[in-house]
Amino acid sequence: MAWVNAGIEHLVGHQFPGGVRAIAHWENYLLTEATGRELLPDDLAHPIHLFHVPIDGVGVTIAELFELFEADGPDQVGLQAYEWEWFEPLRESLDYHCSGGVVEVERRVEHDGNDRPYDHVVFRIELTVDGSIVARATTTWHLWRSPVTRR
Amino acid sequence: MTSSSHEVSVGARLPDWVMADVRAERMRVTSAIHRDPNPVHWDPRSTRSRGLDGRVINQGPLNASYLVNMVMAWRGPTCLRGLHVEFDGRICDGDHVTARGVVTAIDPMTHVATCEVWLERLDGSRPVVGTARVDLSG
Repeated sequence: MAWVNAGIEHLVGHQFPGGVRAIAHWENYLLTEATGRELLPDDLAHPIHLFHVPIDGVGVTIAELFELFEADGPDQVGLQAYEWEWFEPLRESLDYHCSGGVVEVERRVEHDGNDRPYDHVVFRIELTVDGSIVARATTTWHLWRSPVTRR
Repeated sequence: MTSSSHEVSVGARLPDWVMADVRAERMRVTSAIHRDPNPVHWDPRSTRSRGLDGRVINQGPLNASYLVNMVMAWRGPTCLRGLHVEFDGRICDGDHVTARGVVTAIDPMTHVATCEVWLERLDGSRPVVGTARVDLSG
């Protein structure tokens, strides 16, 4: 059977545009509430901002990442793992310099009887302040590939 | 209240943190903040083909946040140094999950504890598992 998408290994080394991103009080309030707990003290931002702030900070959206990785659709992207590192606590209103890119792409096959291929994709983004690293986010997604016959 | 690092030992259990009712409205807020176009988090129609009967799927970061909340409730809001999580199942609105953990190692030089952490459903299954690194010196 033929499969769409010959592979996206060429994206290894791709660098995102990069930029500066601060965590606003409103998003800290709402996102912290969504986690089921009260706001942290002293302008601390909930550590879970280390998912979307790096992505937004380097100048891309989740939809643009799906496009970059040639996803067949939003529901064809599977979350595999996060590796989050905090060297300093995240705080509201600080300007975080965000930089990073794609560090790993590998075509794999799910051995579940259908032998459906997917691309194992890893991208990593660092947040720095005055040149010192504050946090690093490494995200692993699986991009499921559809057979040509289903298109 | 937290205890000092020498009062924590390998094998100690972290206090459970319970999310008794995973809610769709929290997923919608999160999708808006994330600008996440994936409809499985906010449109019940998109999950019918998966046999979810009108339920939506919790975001991975929200699942991970329950583990973060457990660690912060244990050792304070600035204690978390690292979190590795892997996803082996979906959590949906209406689910009841408990964040649990156990200390597996303590670095005597840095006073950082390595903890096995996981989310557990009422049936005992663990859709999210991982490792947290927690600073005990605070």
